[in-house]
Amino acid sequence: MNIAALRAVETMNGKDHSSAEEPGLVKAAQKGDMAAFEELVARHRDKIYARAFSMMRNEEEAIDLSQEAWVKGWQRLAQFQGESSFGTWMTRIVINLCLDQLRKQKRQRTESIEAMDEESGGVERQMPVVTVNPTAGLERAELRQRIDKALGQLSHEHRTVLILHEFEEMEYKQIAKTMECSIGTVMSRLFYARRKMAALLADMKKNQ
Amino acid sequence: MDNEVELKLQAFLDGELPEAEAREVVRTLAQDQQAVLLLAELRNTRQALVGFEKVVTLPESREFFWSKIQREISRLDAPARPVEKPSLLASWRRFLVPAGAVAAMLTVVFIAIGPFGAGTLAQTDVASDDSGAFTYRDENAQTTLVWVSYPAENEVADSPAGPTLE
Repeated sequence: MNIAALRAVETMNGKDHSSAEEPGLVKAAQKGDMAAFEELVARHRDKIYARAFSMMRNEEEAIDLSQEAWVKGWQRLAQFQGESSFGTWMTRIVINLCLDQLRKQKRQRTESIEAMDEESGGVERQMPVVTVNPTAGLERAELRQRIDKALGQLSHEHRTVLILHEFEEMEYKQIAKTMECSIGTVMSRLFYARRKMAALLADMKKNQ
Repeated sequence: MDNEVELKLQAFLDGELPEAEAREVVRTLAQDQQAVLLLAELRNTRQALVGFEKVVTLPESREFFWSKIQREISRLDAPARPVEKPSLLASWRRFLVPAGAVAAMLTVVFIAIGPFGAGTLAQTDVASDDSGAFTYRDENAQTTLVWVSYPAENEVADSPAGPTLE
């Protein structure tokens, strides 16, 4: 056995997981190796937290939900068969937790008339078409900042559908299943969200 | 442009349209300048978003964040507290207390109506000495008679001071 292979064996025996390959870490964690799972948490914690934060727009809630996602991930490890990457699998778990939380909050929240108008649809059809690309000439950091600010101005439903489609690259059918709504609702929400984003980014460009 | 056309434009952009409908959209784009402008806006917005999500990092240290997860996993994985087997005395007590109560009740009933009791009582109860009421019970006829005399014919009623209300 050569040195590289020996190191791989040592790594998998719990001595040091920091340089282990991910599939090996997952297999070890599935067998109950807590240190291997801890390494997986370390590698993906920012990504999972970022997804929770983008959906909840609240740091404390995002931390709590991402923590809950990791605990659920540990409990369901046996169900992970490798159809997707481990990071994607964990992201789906945190997305579902965030959606559950948003649904709970919606039941308690009083909707503003504006929000109800947006939800029922039709408002976006009155927005003029933005003909100038509002992101042209912007530095990447500035563009990220503007996009984040604009996303923060959308309702939870519109932001979620945009996140799932543009950032998670989910198809309409998958989004509909995740958000427990019809494909038609997904399309309407996505259309509104995109048009609203275009208007917000155009406004920011006008005011710069 | 109606909403159905707008949503088809979007689905065309996202590659979600079946081939026949995609060809129809292409024909629409060839004839409708507004459709072209709208598609361009949708495309610009999509391109602006992809790859430009804000990068955020978890604002807690690796160790602290992990410690909370580990604690929660340990709590959920901890075996349930075993049900304590009751002691022999406790088991007997659980049986004896109700059994004793039943036995006491049966004894009272037995004394009241059994061979040591009055049998068919002519008089089973006096409601109150002060009121001078007498109760007669005929078991054969299953009848209860309460005799109330007024004024009360007893030592209290007959006393010079008479009955007093307190």
